[in-house]
Amino acid sequence: MDRARVVLVTVIVALSVSSSLRAHHSFAAEFDANQPVTLKGTVVKMDWVNPHTWIHLDVKNPDGTVTRWMIEGGTPNTLVRRGFTKKSLEAGTEITIEGYRAKNGANRANGADMILPGGKRLFLGSSGTGAPKEGPPEK
Amino acid sequence: MRSRVPGLVAVTVALGLTGFVATAQTQTPSAGARTPATAKRPVPRTPWGDPDLQGVWDYRTITPLERNRELGTREFYTEEEKKALEARAGRRMDGPPEEVRPGLNHAQYWTDPGRFVSDGYRTSLIIDPPDGRIPALTAEGRARQGRAPNRNNAVNASWLDRGDQERCITYGLPSASLPTLYNNNIRIVQAPGTAVIVHEMIHEARVVPLDGRPRLNDNVRAWIGDTRGHWEGDTLVVETTNFNGKHSYRGSTTGLHLTERYTRVDDGRLELRLTVSDPTTWEKPWTVLLPMRPTEGQLLLEYACHEANLSMVNILEVARDAEKAGAKGQAPSKPEPVDDRQER
Repeated sequence: MDRARVVLVTVIVALSVSSSLRAHHSFAAEFDANQPVTLKGTVVKMDWVNPHTWIHLDVKNPDGTVTRWMIEGGTPNTLVRRGFTKKSLEAGTEITIEGYRAKNGANRANGADMILPGGKRLFLGSSGTGAPKEGPPEK
Repeated sequence: MRSRVPGLVAVTVALGLTGFVATAQTQTPSAGARTPATAKRPVPRTPWGDPDLQGVWDYRTITPLERNRELGTREFYTEEEKKALEARAGRRMDGPPEEVRPGLNHAQYWTDPGRFVSDGYRTSLIIDPPDGRIPALTAEGRARQGRAPNRNNAVNASWLDRGDQERCITYGLPSASLPTLYNNNIRIVQAPGTAVIVHEMIHEARVVPLDGRPRLNDNVRAWIGDTRGHWEGDTLVVETTNFNGKHSYRGSTTGLHLTERYTRVDDGRLELRLTVSDPTTWEKPWTVLLPMRPTEGQLLLEYACHEANLSMVNILEVARDAEKAGAKGQAPSKPEPVDDRQER
């Protein structure tokens, strides 16, 4: 590796490490990174509210009963700017959410990925890991 | 099967190919990198003759506030470094995570941190001191930090244990003027004798009298201080003091003094030079250069933070459940730290 390449790699790695961008609130106070969940269900509604959106999802259990989950998403401002509108996820849509469950075992989760009908994925992750040095997912 | 997600069809197809949402591509790199803040064309003016700074301005950037120490006093990336960094930022915005790390993959589709290096090539937003970093704390500042309540031990007994931004009180200054994960926009509105700066993050509106009225008495203090403005040539100079000190930026106190200088530059950009001082906290003032460009669609979207701040309720609920678990002899989950001092 030539010297210029070494400097470049150093710069990129260092830039990542130094980032200290913050989301609005803590991920880790609310959700448990050690409790990943996969939820396949039907969208009941999506609350387009600040500071974070919430998807309400009816998930069918193996015994046939249904559990309603709430999935936290990003802020409406960002969704709209990135092309995700109120019409993007309508009630009745079958989706799969991969995320992290609430620390207290409640039926709430922080969305990491959303898998749409047909297998397309969106990356929902919403509020990050929390203080003190919450950062973007950079290497 | 009929798709129930028509708005996402094009989006997800694009995701599978090379790019992503067209609206996400609207941030363009500044053409006039390294240009001084001097207008080459006449500055637009309001009907009453002031420089017209009005509009919604976008200040997303991947350039960090502070320069990495490895770069020393080097102000600019090389072309190769810039391209590599921007390509990587683009992949983060448009594609799947490079690495799956539980709880860390939040800054993807639902965040909006930008994809370009500031001012073309800048290695830090801080342009003074020359090392691009916040100056050292004073002895008093260091001692104060040692005495500061350690929120890492917070038990989340109440919302008062959580940060001001989580409580939707304020994102604080200068935090609200610096790039973060999303909501990196301000709106400037002017009237004769007054300007208003609206920060999208936690929808903070700062009214800036330009009529020469005296500053408020020192005893009158506010979360975002007291602001006065004046014109120096075509530059709007905004001075903010009288902070109440309840929201500390990296150890700042009531002595925080912000000087913002807004100037239109020649390619349609608005440039902010922000000088931060607090003599009891830092050994010397420091200055940020932050070029902004018109926000796509000129839309500043409402961020009514307390509209449904379910996270606060959930955080406290989690803490109470942890206490109950502890009372039953189960291992309670560790309380989560919060530390506003780390905000940028």
